[in-house]
Amino acid sequence: MINRHTANEHHFTLTERMKILSEGTKYDSCNQSAVCHAFGPDGRCIQLYKTLLTNACAGECTYCPNRCGRHSTRTSLTPEEIVKITWSFYRRNAVEGLFLSSGIIGDAERTAEKQLEVAKLLRSQGFTGYIHMRVMPGTPLYLLEEIADYANKFGVNAETTSSVNYSEICPNFDYTSDVLQRLKWTRDLINKKRRETGYGGRIIGANDTQFVVGALNEPDREIIGTVDKFMVEYELRRPYFMSFDPVPSTPLENNLPSPKWREIRLYQTSYLLKDYGLKAFDFDAVYDDNGFLLDTDPKLLLAMSHPERFPVNVNSASRDELLLVPGIGPVSANRIIQSRPISSEKELMRMGIVVSRARPYIEINGRRQTNLSSFMGAGA
Amino acid sequence: MSPQMIAFKDNVEGVLLACHELVQRPDSELLFAKDMDELRSKISFSGIEYDLKAVGFRPVANCSVLVQSLLGKRKSRMSGRDPDVEGYIRLVLRHSSCEPTELVRFMYSCEGNADMLYSGKTPTGRKYYNYMCDVSRSYHRLSMFARPDFVNGILSVKVDSPHRIGDMFCRWLAGKNPDLPVAVLEKETAWIGNGRYLGLENFTHIRSSFFESLRFSRESDDVDDLWDVYYDSQMIPVRRNKKHAQHLQPKSSSAISEMSARDRYKVERGISNCTLDNFTG
Repeated sequence: MINRHTANEHHFTLTERMKILSEGTKYDSCNQSAVCHAFGPDGRCIQLYKTLLTNACAGECTYCPNRCGRHSTRTSLTPEEIVKITWSFYRRNAVEGLFLSSGIIGDAERTAEKQLEVAKLLRSQGFTGYIHMRVMPGTPLYLLEEIADYANKFGVNAETTSSVNYSEICPNFDYTSDVLQRLKWTRDLINKKRRETGYGGRIIGANDTQFVVGALNEPDREIIGTVDKFMVEYELRRPYFMSFDPVPSTPLENNLPSPKWREIRLYQTSYLLKDYGLKAFDFDAVYDDNGFLLDTDPKLLLAMSHPERFPVNVNSASRDELLLVPGIGPVSANRIIQSRPISSEKELMRMGIVVSRARPYIEINGRRQTNLSSFMGAGA
Repeated sequence: MSPQMIAFKDNVEGVLLACHELVQRPDSELLFAKDMDELRSKISFSGIEYDLKAVGFRPVANCSVLVQSLLGKRKSRMSGRDPDVEGYIRLVLRHSSCEPTELVRFMYSCEGNADMLYSGKTPTGRKYYNYMCDVSRSYHRLSMFARPDFVNGILSVKVDSPHRIGDMFCRWLAGKNPDLPVAVLEKETAWIGNGRYLGLENFTHIRSSFFESLRFSRESDDVDDLWDVYYDSQMIPVRRNKKHAQHLQPKSSSAISEMSARDRYKVERGISNCTLDNFTG
């Protein structure tokens, strides 16, 4: 692989450019492991080749290492090169798909055209793997429609919770028209594609978006409120949270990085919204005075803040009541309901319930299952 | 009067039909075999005269109708990722410790409630649910961490799983690469997918030793180094969640391929930022 390419008067090999552009995406990494992952419909985890088309960006987002005007090495990959690398990794089964993002090449339209070129080329060569495209705010509808024909998943990042905040960190775009409108279009296109292909055909991923956590002082209460609203209005299935890390030579270089645990607690709260049927206002009691989450499991905090709800009788409680018990998730709640009557903790353990966590909050056949921690005030 | 015996083939149809017969004749003994020859030898070995009912050796059963009549409809899905009843049996039968007769008796004990297969309420139920998960997990791990390479132009990979999943993985690999012949070598057997490119049946199996004589024109891509560059480029040491990474790339993945072993090493140790350049200036 000795192809040469000119960018900013530097010559980089394909490997070097691939390295630079993959590094450019790693701050987008939402899973805190190494390689970007997605989850298939069967729950199987799949690895993706994640890259930018280019890191030369016309945008001036204040937190971003690729913002225009910042001194850094700029380079790009051609659609053919991205396709070649994707195939190489795909054949070896190192990846099962491509995650393609980009710096803004002039404007959102031109960028989306280039991204689309990659997807078209891959599909024209018989590529059946997964393609995820992060499009730029402001991408026109006609291009989103075309992208929906080729990609399995596509969407735009909201980054923050309101127009005011957005204009502070992404001054080149308008939150309402460039982001929210695109989230709405994405929702409609996903529904349309799902109707056309059915669930047995090509996978069409649900609507998702990403928030940068900690770049501004927005409290978690606001972020969770926005996620909840997006879940209703845009059928958002999966919010991603990216911890802010200050990047040298950017306007936010002197800000403090967001702690890693905050991202984790936000994810846990978002799962409670997504899978447990809770609403944003249910969490009012778990934030601190400034509206931030604490570094404790939000479900445990929620249970501790509502002692009047417990104990719940595992043999008579509704699914919603069971779901509020720490240690009982949607799968184990279903198992309990289908396996009643339950006569012992052993049965619960076999069903996958984390009994040590659930014990202070449940009763079996009228007997309260308690432990020392409940006497110490940590339980209900 | 000779004792009653239900003999069944160890496949989904066989298990369902045996369960169906067991409902009619609950006192029967059970015996499984992979084909009629094995059944004959097992019966002659026992030396007892049985009133024998053999089921499942001819593929005539409609599995979904049988499932419906034996176990009814599942009231609710315990988990969105659990397979349906047929898929459950198919996976369980591939498990290295699966006892088909015990499985039939367990299904009989569910008394028409399909949810009992998934609930884990009884010890046997938990055991078979775990078997199903084990096989499913092994297959998923193969799909994620096996790294096939081109051998004589054929995309091939050697697998070593305790469960019988070579054919499943081969079908998956063939579906992923429909334009290439693929081979999955599992002990003495080579499963061949997209065999039409090699003049064979589209999906078949041959002896591993015969596989070496197969040829297809396709050049190998050496991507190991490129992958290492990519993998290393994605790491942010300060934000690394080691536990999460270990969960996504479990220890067992190291044994599946060399590339995965290298990735797994980095999960444990991180990526060294000390390179030869540090010494050469």
